[in-house]
Amino acid sequence: MNKTTNRRDFLKLITNALFSLGGLLGLGGLFRFFSFQPDPGPPTEFDLGPKYEYPRGHQVIRLDIPAAIQHTDEGIIAISLVCTHLGCTVEGNEDGEGFTCPCHGSRYSKSGVVLEGPATKKLARYRIEEQEDNTLMLYTK
Amino acid sequence: MKKDNLAPSIAGPGKLASYNNAFELYEYIFETMPWWNPGSITREEAWALANYVLKLNGTRPEGLTLTTTNGYAIPVHRAVTLPGKEWPGVLVLTGVLVLAAVGMVLQARSKHTAGTAVLPKPNFIHHLHPPSIPLLQSRFRYTLGAGGISVFLCLVLLVTGILEMYFYIPSAEHAATSVEVIATLVPFGNLIRNLHYWSAQLLVIVMTIHLIRVVLTGAYAKPRRFNFLLGVILLVFILLLDFTGYILRWDEGIRWALVVGTNLLKTIPWIGEGVYQFVMGGPEAGPATLTRFYAWHIFGLTIGVAILVGWHAFRVRRDGGIAVPPPEKREDKTRITRFELLRREVLAMVITGIVLLLISVLIPAPIEQPLQETGLDTSDSRAPWFFLWVQQLLKYGDPFFWGVLIPLIVVLVLGLLPYVLPKAKAEELGRWFPRGNRLAQVLVVLIILAITVLTVLANLPIIQ
Repeated sequence: MNKTTNRRDFLKLITNALFSLGGLLGLGGLFRFFSFQPDPGPPTEFDLGPKYEYPRGHQVIRLDIPAAIQHTDEGIIAISLVCTHLGCTVEGNEDGEGFTCPCHGSRYSKSGVVLEGPATKKLARYRIEEQEDNTLMLYTK
Repeated sequence: MKKDNLAPSIAGPGKLASYNNAFELYEYIFETMPWWNPGSITREEAWALANYVLKLNGTRPEGLTLTTTNGYAIPVHRAVTLPGKEWPGVLVLTGVLVLAAVGMVLQARSKHTAGTAVLPKPNFIHHLHPPSIPLLQSRFRYTLGAGGISVFLCLVLLVTGILEMYFYIPSAEHAATSVEVIATLVPFGNLIRNLHYWSAQLLVIVMTIHLIRVVLTGAYAKPRRFNFLLGVILLVFILLLDFTGYILRWDEGIRWALVVGTNLLKTIPWIGEGVYQFVMGGPEAGPATLTRFYAWHIFGLTIGVAILVGWHAFRVRRDGGIAVPPPEKREDKTRITRFELLRREVLAMVITGIVLLLISVLIPAPIEQPLQETGLDTSDSRAPWFFLWVQQLLKYGDPFFWGVLIPLIVVLVLGLLPYVLPKAKAEELGRWFPRGNRLAQVLVVLIILAITVLTVLANLPIIQ
């Protein structure tokens, strides 16, 4: 009696272990299945066109990036319009000076410094490079 | 590259912007190259060129031969990596399941017979079963396990179907491509799609075997005749699910099956046109049809099947379990506990699962290039195999009579068998070929035989 019970318990243990192993293998496969990303990421390079289209003191808003291209004392710079709080696109103020986030009201100066919360970090800068043919390329990465 | 080159460069960032996928690139090459004699290169050469261009761009996936079908899933502008070899992993899983099945078989030697041992506490799944049942009811050579295996296949279909929904795009434009993405790019996507496909095919066969078993053992008689009717309705639902699922591929393979299958509805007198528009969502097959079939497939019909399966299983128990003679007329009075019953069920499931995994690793489910505006000469003009017998019938004459009325009569005859024909005696139950319902047995065998012969005929080349 005791012998059969032990044998049965042992078989049951082995079988359950095998089923658990099978389940783990299945879960591993499932993890790989779900980790596939069918969509390409957003573009990381943008053609800004010829340099002369950005005269000194001028600002161009490019909502497709989204970024504000400014020609300032330090040259042509690109300020990201993605709010550093939770990612809404900030809007240019009507007077042309600074930006305001429509979602939670964060305010930034023209150069992207936080004037009022809830955001705590200033707006990001993107890299701009001048090509051989005097056109500008913007890189978000 | 120099600026004064005659041809625009084809490699590098931002090039080939007007092509979304490898197939579009191939098609452009095939139709316009070389520029001094467009269309003079072969399809193979065009594919070779497309391959080469993708390689220059660094976006050609390693180890993939581009074809008319998978070309749609391969983007031109970004590199995709194919999932690595998956069959070794699947075989390891299959091996583990084989060992588990062996373990379950060995446990049988120390099975519980009702009333002889102290029983463990039942878990939730045990609770869905009666505490004990006559051994006769769970004999494999009597039931063939067909009902239980059908339920298991339904569960596999439910799980794999839900998984496919994470990547399938139900729009006329993207459906076939997204299926191709599942089949070539998603890790284990091909396995899951094959499992879904093969479970669905197997389900039709196993349900038919279940139907034949129930008739050839006379098990459908009162009080089980209503449940038999439920079973026949369930089979019709599963056929509709198979058909709608087949249409969801929205590739060239389904063109004529969709056109013919639904045009049959129009032949119904008076209400035909209305039924057609209800099914298709418009005056002809189009994007609205795909949306409708998708909704029916994943929701409408599925919920119907869920209810019917539950009802069918409930009625099995309400009607006294699987048909056996009354206790005083039984030769073998042994009973088994629900623990032993569940062990048998799980064993049948594991074996079915192993078979499914092996078929799915070996034989891929069909997919062709996306459905085009105008039909290609390559499109398959045959119905899915489970409707081939109807396609064969349609060759004999009036579509309403042969294509609608006859199949409807077959379903009616099957459903009404237990209400009309003589039944087996109570003491004859629990074994094959009882004398009492011979007439019904002959009739059903003839129907199944006729359907088989018609299916074979439809597969033969047409003899003029």
